[in-house]
Amino acid sequence: MKKHNYLLDGIILIALILAGILVFIRVKTGFSYTWNWGAIPQFFFRIDESGNIKSNLLMLGFYTTIKLSFWSSLAAIIIGTLMGILRTRKNLFSRLTGRTYIEIARNTPPLVLIFIFYFFIGNNITAALGIDEWARNLSGTGKGILSFLFSKPERFAEFLSALFTLAVYEGAYVAEIIRGGLESIQKGQFEASYALGLSSTDKYRFVILPQVFRKVLPSLTGQAISTIKDSSIVSIISIQELTFQGMEIMASTYLVFEIWITITAMYFILTLSLSTLATFLEGRMIKY
Amino acid sequence: MTSKPIISITDLNKTFPGPDKAPEVIAVKDVTVDIYQGEVVVVIGPSGAGKSTLLRCLNGLEDFDSGSIIIDNIPLNHHHKNRLEIRKEVGMVFQSFNLFPHMTVRENIGLAVRRVRKKSVLECEKITAGLLEKVGITDKIDSYPSQLSGGQQQRVAIARALAMNPKVMLFDEATSALDPEMISEVLDVMKNLAKDGMTMVVVTHEMGFAREAGSRILFMDNGEIVEDRKVEDFFLDPNEDRSKAFLSKVI
Ligand SMILES: Nc1ncnc2c1ncn2[C@@H]1O[C@H](COP(=O)(O)OP(=O)(O)OP(=O)(O)O)[C@@H](O)[C@H]1O
Ligand SMILES: [Mg+2]
Repeated sequence: MKKHNYLLDGIILIALILAGILVFIRVKTGFSYTWNWGAIPQFFFRIDESGNIKSNLLMLGFYTTIKLSFWSSLAAIIIGTLMGILRTRKNLFSRLTGRTYIEIARNTPPLVLIFIFYFFIGNNITAALGIDEWARNLSGTGKGILSFLFSKPERFAEFLSALFTLAVYEGAYVAEIIRGGLESIQKGQFEASYALGLSSTDKYRFVILPQVFRKVLPSLTGQAISTIKDSSIVSIISIQELTFQGMEIMASTYLVFEIWITITAMYFILTLSLSTLATFLEGRMIKY
Repeated sequence: MTSKPIISITDLNKTFPGPDKAPEVIAVKDVTVDIYQGEVVVVIGPSGAGKSTLLRCLNGLEDFDSGSIIIDNIPLNHHHKNRLEIRKEVGMVFQSFNLFPHMTVRENIGLAVRRVRKKSVLECEKITAGLLEKVGITDKIDSYPSQLSGGQQQRVAIARALAMNPKVMLFDEATSALDPEMISEVLDVMKNLAKDGMTMVVVTHEMGFAREAGSRILFMDNGEIVEDRKVEDFFLDPNEDRSKAFLSKVI
């Protein structure tokens, strides 16, 4: 190990602080901004006509971001695992399928993917499959469940296209993570499974994937955190998640700094809880 | 012998592509052998002779180029059903144990019994208990492989293969990765298995095991079977110069 140079660290730190103070003073005298933090809380919760506390825009956006990130991470893990496995198979067709998916998904700007999925799935597929109609015709409780788990029935088609976009985009990275994990598993594990007569599915389900997931849990957590952050781009198709709500509030109140600082903090809370949970899970996993 | 062989290998050939357009490596060349029920066939020969490759062809871990392998009347070909049947009937023990590290001893042994043989939980428990007794590690049933010594791990691996109730057992240098003091505990299990009448094909450098438990020696060199003799005859009077040279080195 190299000896740490604390002197250098100290000098850099002091220089940064001085630069910060300088910028702060310049900004402070340069333009005046009247902070109005008091206006923010009402966007978290509001009190309706009958006196009940209701979630307001920020909280609703927060929930949508959570739901969207959860489902797209889950879907990304499923897609990524399948594709990651295909990528490592001996069969040329399997490998090409995995490779093609990964290359296309990783080399397309996510914003472009969103539009493709939005206009294709959102407008055509959901209509063709009758998903839109199905969602609109659900019973009261059905609509309640759908809203709780996904989104309001009227917006379900958009929500699905956002979910698919994120899943396909993040899935490519998951596939590469899984491929790395698979390649780190000793050949003997595959050979022993084969020799015991296990089917290919059982081999992956019981022997290989449990080992892979344990190994790549930190990277998968990182990817889930990326998904949370990347989910903000679906605001472009009017999914009412956190960033979208931020833009709405900003447009009506001009509380630029308060809103974006608040939203940054909310994303931060989300990602930090996720990595804390992952660290906790890692600690709980049996060591072998 | 008049009965039909349980393993019948005819004109087996296997090559590996050489690295980067280099000429291909002949790993197994024109091998023809019949192995009968209850025989313990010990395969010996210098490094690179093709012993492992021959063994791995027997359960389909390696595809061969030409020739035929018939095990218990099932030809090993590209029919998935045949291959599966042979994988069930042929147990294999590896040099590096290859236990599943995330599973306990119980789960390691039980997995294929439950998923492939489709036994009930109760039957599976009985089989596991019986086999662990046989290999002498009843007290480690809930341990993970990493908590066992090498010798114990290999004995669990043997139990795991036996749990499928195979007709043939293959051993590829089962004791080569072990510390010297643990070799005999594994060899003892293998000797007992031989005594019980299991048909075994054993690649090993342990000449003591070959003498004591073996019934036949296959001496391989450059992919070919140079000598195929009864154990007593082979050690008393090897026919070929290559076998003599090899023996003088290992004994
Ligand atoms: N997967 C492979 N790819 C390329 N060549 C291989 C492969 N496996 C084996 N070979 C080659 O085939 C020949 C036979 O190898 P094999 O492992 O069967 O020998 P062995 O008798 O088991 O030797 P050892 O005693 O060292 O285990 C060797 O020349 C080896 O380099
Ligand atoms: Mg070998």
